Amino acid sequence: MSVVDPSRPAASTSVSPALRCEGLTKAFQGVHAVNGAAFSIPEGQITALIGPNGAGKTTVVNMLSGAMKSDSGRMFIGETETTGWPSHKVARHGLLRTFQLSRELGGLTVLENLLTAAPNQAGDSLVNVLLRPGLIERQERENAERALQLLEVYGLYRHRDTPARELSGGQKKLLEIARAVMGSPRILLLDEPMAGVNPALIDVLGGYIRDLKKDGVTILMVEHNLGVVEQICDHVIVLAEGRTLATGRLADLRQNTEVVKAYLGEVMDASSAD
Amino acid sequence: MTYYVFTLVFFLFDYFILAMGLNIQYGVTGILNFAYIGFVAVGAYVTGVAAMPSNINGEHYILGLGLPFPLNTLLGGIAAMGLSALVALITLRRLRTDYLAIVLISLSLVLYDFCNNYVSLFNGADGLYNVPEPFAQSLGLGANGFIVFFACLTGVVSLILLFVMRRVMRAPLGRTFRAVRDDHVTAAALGKDTFRMQLKAMMIGSFFAGIGGGLLIQFGGSFNPTAWLPGETFVVFAVLIVGGAGNNMGMFVGALLVETLLIHLPAFLPEIPGHPGLIEYFDLALVGIVLMVMLWVRPQGIVPERLRRTPSFGVTPKLDDEAGELDRTTALAGVKVAVAGTEEAR
Repeated sequence: MSVVDPSRPAASTSVSPALRCEGLTKAFQGVHAVNGAAFSIPEGQITALIGPNGAGKTTVVNMLSGAMKSDSGRMFIGETETTGWPSHKVARHGLLRTFQLSRELGGLTVLENLLTAAPNQAGDSLVNVLLRPGLIERQERENAERALQLLEVYGLYRHRDTPARELSGGQKKLLEIARAVMGSPRILLLDEPMAGVNPALIDVLGGYIRDLKKDGVTILMVEHNLGVVEQICDHVIVLAEGRTLATGRLADLRQNTEVVKAYLGEVMDASSAD
Repeated sequence: MTYYVFTLVFFLFDYFILAMGLNIQYGVTGILNFAYIGFVAVGAYVTGVAAMPSNINGEHYILGLGLPFPLNTLLGGIAAMGLSALVALITLRRLRTDYLAIVLISLSLVLYDFCNNYVSLFNGADGLYNVPEPFAQSLGLGANGFIVFFACLTGVVSLILLFVMRRVMRAPLGRTFRAVRDDHVTAAALGKDTFRMQLKAMMIGSFFAGIGGGLLIQFGGSFNPTAWLPGETFVVFAVLIVGGAGNNMGMFVGALLVETLLIHLPAFLPEIPGHPGLIEYFDLALVGIVLMVMLWVRPQGIVPERLRRTPSFGVTPKLDDEAGELDRTTALAGVKVAVAGTEEAR
């Protein structure tokens, strides 16, 4: 089952890119984790970032989201250059991300985790806290209502008042996504959203990700499970040894012997075995 | 007797204020401020020199503004806050946790040596004395009357500050502080400028430290380096840990148990025969033991941080949605069927 519209152009250079990077490099004490990665993410689509372990996928996500500074290269969100921006500035510009290993705000309740993500909160200013309690109260109520709706969608409503550290692994994965969505992202980077998740929940998560696309969110997801990639991603970027090896649709990439040799071959065998 | 009781009452309220300040820094935002007593001292000194006239009995003090009560103490609070902003700008951008703590404890020692030796600032080891007692003359209070009055005044100040602190902690700002404490990487990924947030927490907490220090110097009328040995910071930490980090009421309970009962009460107990002065030295040992026992048995403190539940955000949750959860479970079951179906088709 494929949701890819066959009439859509594949490596869409015609659609303006939502996110673009060129010549990204990052070395950790001599190990070149990322070594000239360059690609662009088409607006409003789901793009998969795949590649063997150690290809530099998470490092790329960390650099794009500002969590890590690149050694060289440039990054753009739409037309705006974001090279060297810190995380919070990137996030305020509409790019939100989730983490490979869930990073919940453990001492906060599930609802508070979502509320923290609400953009443009007047209540983060001390002056407003002291002088404009009415404004803050109104905003909090609106944000809480929206957060509760999201928690319902993501099946966490019952756990709204639970400290996030007490959630199960799968629930934490759901919380990661719900929290990022609460931040009203234009672009969402999902770092292995399906890792360590049971098969039934994988399909549920896949459904959520497709729903986000329908809402107009551009998505880049790091994913190892090619079945998932085939089902929900429009576009694939293959990373190997820190470089962009190929881009295109998964079906086309399967014909690319270089890609198959570097990565797909073994994994395809493995996935067809089960 | 009145004197003893109200001295204890004063220290209860004053340490309640100090603990609230450290709580917003460490308990809520997670900044290990091991220089806390330094900010208390700056508040005390600045309040002192702001309160005193420029010339007492031929002695000159810097500033010497002769300001009346609330103004001089406010100035002390603002001075401590200003210093904390400077310290935060230097340290908080690059350091966290243990490394930050090491730098801050060094700062505390440097500040201490500086004030102790640079006599023309705050009179070195002799410190400040003859600091005016607020309202003592205008109300015609005697020594005991002043103690009672000032202990009550400190209580009123602590209630005002509690009101302010509650508002900060219940606001989105307080939540963001806790987010920074729990995981600063996540907080940044959600659009929070973690440095600015820590700076704010440092400044709010240090303002409280400065006010607490200002009250301290006016209560005793004098202040010198023996009052703020860098180790004093850990007494405030003990108040915080015993009371319950993250909870304002915990700060009151901690101040009552640690500062009032363990630190100050023993000084009023009769001497142990044959060992004059020994009993004074029991206090810190007792604090250490209590701290260890607490961390072992109840690390969250006597009054732990409270969870904020849904209704406190002004929304009424639906009566628990067993039906909704049921839908979810059916949906999951449906998915399972679908998955099984695809596998069969393969």
